[in-house]
Amino acid sequence: MAQKKLSIRIDGQLISAEEGQTILQAAKANGKYIPTLCALDGLTPVGACRVCLVEVSGVDRLFPACTTPIQDGMSVTTNSPRLTRYRRISVELLLIERNHVCAVCVSNGHCELQSMATAFGINTVEFAYNYPKLSLDTSHPRFVLDHNRCILCTRCVRVCAELEGAHVWDLTSRGIHARIVSEMNEKWGQATSCTSCGKCVQACPTGALAEKGWAVEEMVKNLGTVTTLVHRRGVEV
Amino acid sequence: MSTLLQVPLPTEEKTYIDKVVAERLGRPGALLGILEAAQERNRHKYLPLEMLRYIAIKTETPLSRIYSVATFYSLFNLQAQGENTICICRGTACHTRGSRNLLQGARLDLGLGLEDGEADGNEADKLLLTTPDQKFTVRTVACFGQCAMAPVVEVNHRICGHATERTVQREIATIRAGE
Ligand code: FES
Ligand code: FES
Repeated sequence: MAQKKLSIRIDGQLISAEEGQTILQAAKANGKYIPTLCALDGLTPVGACRVCLVEVSGVDRLFPACTTPIQDGMSVTTNSPRLTRYRRISVELLLIERNHVCAVCVSNGHCELQSMATAFGINTVEFAYNYPKLSLDTSHPRFVLDHNRCILCTRCVRVCAELEGAHVWDLTSRGIHARIVSEMNEKWGQATSCTSCGKCVQACPTGALAEKGWAVEEMVKNLGTVTTLVHRRGVEV
Repeated sequence: MSTLLQVPLPTEEKTYIDKVVAERLGRPGALLGILEAAQERNRHKYLPLEMLRYIAIKTETPLSRIYSVATFYSLFNLQAQGENTICICRGTACHTRGSRNLLQGARLDLGLGLEDGEADGNEADKLLLTTPDQKFTVRTVACFGQCAMAPVVEVNHRICGHATERTVQREIATIRAGE
């Protein structure tokens, strides 16, 4: 059955989109850019990073574009001083939460968080750094997990559960104590459900998941491998 | 089947879980109910890892998912609990009404000391202390939803509103006397 067509406006431009699409999907399909960190084509959106906030006219609060379904007649603004301010704050909060020390990070120069910060012109943060003392899991023969760089976007969780079907990762605890865990708090190397496919590493936007053997700046992720797979499996993007 | 056999749990526990799972599976929120039932039945009111593993297998839930659920809700304990639980609210309303003193009072009364948890300001999250004789557990929550009665203390699942240090002392004394 053909999807019902809805007309919406994005930044004033009239767009026809399919019912059931999110604002982000509709915008992408029409060549409009909305910044994102936790959204990844083909994975269930979760709205964890709040970088994709947009304005919907007539409503005061902001909406995450990745999880908000479009409605007929909706008028969306993807860029405004207010949005820039809120997106900036979201990125700053991610930066202060863990120890994002780019100079010594394997992903320096290839990090989505870093690029986002650069794009928003963030060179100082408004809030105090948390400096949590976090661990490193080097038990896997090929990969490492560094909690210090994790932004809890859960892209690894979803790529593993939804594409690989292994569901090695999930989130434990809440709030400031939330962490990525493999199985029941097992060391990654001991997680028997892990197939060592490396999808989580490629999907990770920062240096939190990386391949072993790379020095600072050397871990270049290949998100393409994940998205190609999405297309090949016919997952609706 | 081999994975099932590897989980070291007494047979009657397994039978009980099998029954609960059969009753609830497929209903919305089934996992929460199953975990709650399993914890209720446990002598020390907690969910040992083997139990989580067994439930995961029985409900075909990924291990990481079940661990995530069990650590998200403060209702679930992954450590053994004392026979009596004193739960002190460290939510905002109770904090402003002096619940820190209640917590410290309870810890001192039960000889639990004040060292850990307090200093790093984390006590609003999950603080959990059990006396060496396994009689009492002191724990915190971040709001019972009873803020009008702040500060709130829950003694063995009974809510005591407008609690003072005396209230807590009296509750502990009553439980001790009753033994
Ligand atoms: S991309 Fe929408 S909240 Fe992260
Ligand atoms: S803050 Fe204690 S009950 Fe709400």
